[in-house]
Amino acid sequence: MFRVWLLFDPRRVLVALGVFLFVLALLIHFILLSTDRFNWLEGPRTGAPVSQMSSVPPK
Amino acid sequence: MAMLEEKAVSLSGLTENEAKEFHKIFVTSFMAFTGIAIVAHFLVWSWRPWLPGPHGYTTSMLDGVVGHITTLLT
Repeated sequence: MFRVWLLFDPRRVLVALGVFLFVLALLIHFILLSTDRFNWLEGPRTGAPVSQMSSVPPK
Repeated sequence: MAMLEEKAVSLSGLTENEAKEFHKIFVTSFMAFTGIAIVAHFLVWSWRPWLPGPHGYTTSMLDGVVGHITTLLT
């Protein structure tokens, strides 16, 4: 497996991996903050129940 | 020409030993990162699981029953 570093420049791989993981983490955190169930700062928006994505549509 | 042949080691410019050395650090860091990620996921799952059942996220055993009754009555 170590032979991949003979093919790919470790410096570029580290930078690319770092940028990719950072953007992915940022994306996932913002998606979670936009939901009611997983927003850990504000909690669910007022009126919205914690259980979302129910198969029963809200009345 | 002789100097060029000595310098040319690989496409990335690393020797086999350098690649082995870097690989050791890379694998260790990767395992540390994965370990932290597993712990974080375990904590979040115990806070709020992210896979709803067939009737959505339920907080009690009654939730599913209440949902069925309301759909039957309307």
